[in-house]
Amino acid sequence: MIPAPELELRAALPLILISAGAFAVLLAELFLRARDPEDPARSPAFVSVVLCAISVATLAAIIASSAGGFVEGSTLVFNEARPFVRLDRFANFAIAVVALGALLSCLLSYQYLRELRIQYGEYYALLLLATSGMILLVSAVDLVAVFLGIELLSIPIYVLAGFDRRKLRSNEAALKYFLVGSFASAILLYGMALLYGATGATDFAAIRSAFEPEQPLAALGLALVVVGFTFKISAVPFHQWTPDVYEGAPTSVTAFMSVTVKVAAFAGLMRMVVFAFDGGGDALGGVLWWLAALTMIVGNVMAVIQENVKRLLAYSSVAHAGYVLMGLVAGTQAGLSAMLFYLLGYVFSNLGAFGVVIALAHRGRDADRIEDFAGLARSRPGLAALMTLFLVSLAGIPGTVGFAGKLQVFLAAVREGYVGLTILAVLTSLVSVYYYLRLPVVMYMREPGGEAPRLRLHSAEGLVLGVCAVGVVLLGLFFSEGPWPFAWVQAIDWTRESAAVLAGR
Amino acid sequence: MTHAPALLSWVTFAPLAVALALLVLDGLAGASGRPVAKELWKGAALAATLLTFALSLGLWMGFDPARTGYQFVEYTPWLPHYGIHYFAGIDGISLLLILLTTFLMPIVLIASWHEIERSPKSFVFFMLALETGMVGTFAALNLFQFYLLWELMLIPMVFIIGVWGGARRVYAAVKFFLFTMFGSLLMLVAILVVYVLHHHQFGVWTFDFVSGPGSVVPGILETLIPTTGVWWQTQPWLFLAFALAFGVKVPIVPLHTWLPDAHVEAPTAGSVILAGVLLKMGTYGFVRFALPLFPVASVEFAPVVFALALAGILYGALVAMVQKDIKKLVAYSSVAHLGFVMLGMFALNVEGLEGSILQMVNHGISTGALFLLVGMIYQRRHTREIAAFGGIAKPMPVFAALFGITVMSSVGLPMLNGFVGEFLILLGAFQASPGFASAATFGVVLAAVYLLWMFRRVFFGPVENPENRGLMDLDLREKLVMAAMIVPMFWIGIHPDTFLRRLHPPVLDLLHVMESKTALEAGPASARARAKLLAALEGAGARAGEAAP
Repeated sequence: MIPAPELELRAALPLILISAGAFAVLLAELFLRARDPEDPARSPAFVSVVLCAISVATLAAIIASSAGGFVEGSTLVFNEARPFVRLDRFANFAIAVVALGALLSCLLSYQYLRELRIQYGEYYALLLLATSGMILLVSAVDLVAVFLGIELLSIPIYVLAGFDRRKLRSNEAALKYFLVGSFASAILLYGMALLYGATGATDFAAIRSAFEPEQPLAALGLALVVVGFTFKISAVPFHQWTPDVYEGAPTSVTAFMSVTVKVAAFAGLMRMVVFAFDGGGDALGGVLWWLAALTMIVGNVMAVIQENVKRLLAYSSVAHAGYVLMGLVAGTQAGLSAMLFYLLGYVFSNLGAFGVVIALAHRGRDADRIEDFAGLARSRPGLAALMTLFLVSLAGIPGTVGFAGKLQVFLAAVREGYVGLTILAVLTSLVSVYYYLRLPVVMYMREPGGEAPRLRLHSAEGLVLGVCAVGVVLLGLFFSEGPWPFAWVQAIDWTRESAAVLAGR
Repeated sequence: MTHAPALLSWVTFAPLAVALALLVLDGLAGASGRPVAKELWKGAALAATLLTFALSLGLWMGFDPARTGYQFVEYTPWLPHYGIHYFAGIDGISLLLILLTTFLMPIVLIASWHEIERSPKSFVFFMLALETGMVGTFAALNLFQFYLLWELMLIPMVFIIGVWGGARRVYAAVKFFLFTMFGSLLMLVAILVVYVLHHHQFGVWTFDFVSGPGSVVPGILETLIPTTGVWWQTQPWLFLAFALAFGVKVPIVPLHTWLPDAHVEAPTAGSVILAGVLLKMGTYGFVRFALPLFPVASVEFAPVVFALALAGILYGALVAMVQKDIKKLVAYSSVAHLGFVMLGMFALNVEGLEGSILQMVNHGISTGALFLLVGMIYQRRHTREIAAFGGIAKPMPVFAALFGITVMSSVGLPMLNGFVGEFLILLGAFQASPGFASAATFGVVLAAVYLLWMFRRVFFGPVENPENRGLMDLDLREKLVMAAMIVPMFWIGIHPDTFLRRLHPPVLDLLHVMESKTALEAGPASARARAKLLAALEGAGARAGEAAP
């Protein structure tokens, strides 16, 4: 008799639901297409939303329940002898954030795809597949699992970036992302091969005991692996693909990518650096310092001159990656916790901002130029106010989750003495305020011009914008204990425990 | 002490609560197809500000002038893990500034009743939000809370300038925002450094500035910030970070370049609040945080601040003299006046500090009144050029008289408020540095020059421009507004003790705190600072000894 492995299904439920669900959606769409030829994406969308919602709910229940049996019992390591995947509290949190991002993206995509007349069910299947790849990546404790996760999350997104086949920009985005992404994956794989050569193992625990930073093979392997990850988090100087891909891809895909891929890639990077390489030593710290500094500078400076909102948000995305990297530079548990919190807040702010851009898409055209926002305060005052809120959060104005995240990261950096980097971050934040302010200025202080925007907000879009707005304000003002009735929201406790789990192992 | 529970929080949050309630009601009414009339909204907002003023009078009456320490203290845990609490309390300094704020707001709303054509509902919403932000900042005793409200105030102000302002309003609004944020962001890093230092020294994480009521956890004020060591942990650099943030707001030359644009382009209400209250946040920040936290650095940097203050006084006055636009002239006069405030403050003695704080209030009233008057004439002729006027005392005698009193108040004529402040400042500054004080006195002369010359050109002489002949004098609403502004000018000028009495204990307390902190460190700089502060305290003690019969 083959002994059945002990499986804790509660933790594995999201992974099972989403990966199996992706295929289920694909099949369902085939069979249900005949029933609803007008809108073949309706059922797949619905199914995806339900799956993601269940995942988020399950994980939220796991995370929010008090420490004790349920939490410990929900760690799933597969398998104990040679761990490949580890669904512990850290992974649970990261998966929850990714699933939340996927859920909100699905809701945003529905009407958007209909406006652009690309409502195909495969979209949702691809989205779920990418999400399953992300789940694999954040729970990976083996180099091969990391690679599998990255590939599984990237390839569907390559396709999704080119989903609007009639637009040249979309095809260009897809091809560019595919080529650059493949190249980066190759570098990553080569680095992994070198690490295998240096340490003789691929699982993190074994690497940790065998890793010697002085050994050139190992150091080179680590460097190449970090390069591969740097591409995915779009840090300088491997960020060049970001503006073109973000601009060309359909906005709902951009929203999904900008948020979830970043969270997953950062989580994977965090686990690898902390667990496998024990912080990486001083050399890696120095490299990360420069990465963070350059990313903040370049991302913010380049965003100032953008005229396209999607490109602007792309460069802002790059800049935010820089701020998150500061937490990794600090290297402490507080730094890791700060990174997780920042990313959670980033989900709300960024999805909200992209959500408004999506809500304005009309009759096959994206509303992605700054002029499209002129005078929006007159025609759509609610949307203008929401956009201002999200941009204010991205800029890091106190009272919003963007500021709370930055506060955490700055505090972690200052505690370790990285005051120069903090000052740099603060000055680049000032630059960012300028370009974030451009949109409210145009919305409130200029007269409307051009064609009339879409006037009706789809309920799904409204729901997402509402959730993001609540998240931004709630987590901004009450980042550790929420007021009644949100007392169960204890974001900082969750991130702290997740970081503790990561650092402890 | 018995007083209405949470009175301070009521004063702080009543405006915002009313604003949000109006927003919701407006949304509901609009959705049901019967939108609320604009006049009703304006009336409701005015009632809210009047109510807030009445409540703040309750603060005044319940305030015990003889006690040191903070009164009306409120303390609620907010994010205890970080030491972030809702911690509000007032002493004499914040009391006066809060009263200034709640006093100016209804006046400003009445004055701009007809001026705001577009979206008056949004306008009053932003004004009410701004009032909450301002009062909250003055009352905040937790550094996180202070920083939150400090930054949050920027957003309504940016909208007020940018949406309802003049021709170059967008440029002025963005410039204002970026300048202020620049300083504030560096202050954030400094706050975090002090927060971490406090943790190193006391083992607790708290942003509370002083110990909370009934708590033994020491506040940030008790952190000993070294004068030597790692550069970013030392007093000079941390003081500079704070000074940059507050200095942009004050404004200290050369960080003042946002001010003329913002003041001129803002609508009248915006200019009055900007000049009357927002500028004071900078000076308040110095007195409340920068001086007590970094006493040695304050003393060491005093000569630099003196020089910059003097530059502000003289440069502001000289530039004001050559302005063709009345509003811009008044804006530059603000730079000059605030130069006096900084001069008195960094004299670091009782007269200087009391004069400085009183002058903050005086400037709020005088310059606020000037902006109101300019707004009135702009409503009539849609120009602010001095050359467009001339001899309008003839068609508008009441206006001329009120303008004249306000000008005299700004110049510093005895019996009006400006004199008391300037006299105390110069007295204090003279004790600290006779040279600087003498040079600054010249600024008083210059103030008289540019203000009286402007007054002559606008009001006296023959009425040359035919458009000026038929100008309507002030109506009842405008007279009411100006009467309200004139009363404190005389009150502070004739009986300033009503206000100075409440300033004395906190000022003495500040000097004591600064002195005791300098006593804790070794080093020549600390010793020098200590000597200076002891001298100031002795002077105060001697005077008190003489005064007591």
